[in-house]
Amino acid sequence: MKFEDWPEEWQEWAKLTPLERFRESEKIFAQYLAMGGSLDPDPDPTSPFYDPETSGSGAAYGRPGLRVLRRSAV
Amino acid sequence: MGGQACVFYGAAQFSKDVDFLILAKEENFEGLHAALAELDAVRIAIPRFDPRVLDRGHAVHYRCRAVGVEGLRVDVMTKLRDLPDFCVLWERRTTITEEDGREFHLLSVPDLVNAKKTQRLKDWPMISALVEGHYEAHSEEPTAQRIEFWLRESRTEERLLDLAARFPSEAAAMSATRPLLALAITPCLPRLREALDAEVRAEQEKDRIYWEPLKREMEEFRRAERAAS
Repeated sequence: MKFEDWPEEWQEWAKLTPLERFRESEKIFAQYLAMGGSLDPDPDPTSPFYDPETSGSGAAYGRPGLRVLRRSAV
Repeated sequence: MGGQACVFYGAAQFSKDVDFLILAKEENFEGLHAALAELDAVRIAIPRFDPRVLDRGHAVHYRCRAVGVEGLRVDVMTKLRDLPDFCVLWERRTTITEEDGREFHLLSVPDLVNAKKTQRLKDWPMISALVEGHYEAHSEEPTAQRIEFWLRESRTEERLLDLAARFPSEAAAMSATRPLLALAITPCLPRLREALDAEVRAEQEKDRIYWEPLKREMEEFRRAERAAS
């Protein structure tokens, strides 16, 4: 998906300055923790660091830790 | 260098950990250990911290326990697959300065894109977002270096068609090193999609091959730690 086709909120995020994004990200992170979000890595069998024995059961509320702004067909 | 860098560049909204690439020098290791002590960080996975192990491409994983950063994970590496030495990456870095003078040193966008070419599925949408964000920010000022970066790394079919139409001579020249550009020059969307997918699979395979001996080594480390405990 081209930038022009991104949803409005993604475009707004991308148009912030890097420091504005960093500050907003800190707020989102704090909110995530306040809502009980886990800091454990999301189980990812495609990662070379994945260890089924020590991997957690998943992110709280099923949310990914690193929120991707867009996903392609890849 | 990881998710936090993606936040700065606009490709993600937050990351649950912080990844550091550091120059492998004794004084840096001392500084690292002092910082980890301040964060009350403990190692949470194999391998143990060892400069020789880091030099082979492993990452060392920590979790912080200090007040205010409880639970935060920190990963440390000194080497990244297919990327040049730290000194080269440092020269090419992006520095962002806070009003209070704090500095954030990030991998450059092209280096971050290369670092993200992994076997992990979640990294590929991030690459697309990084390149698209870069194009959006700089498309009005297309330098030769930027055009080359967009043509080399763009992962969006429609963007590749645009780029091939906007920069035809550069696209033709680069099609020798990135053959799928020919499918953007003489547009063939279905084959271009297939070629983009094939590029991902090839990079994922390279990453798997790179990690294969390291994973075996990690298994040995794991066994040794279990035996010792």
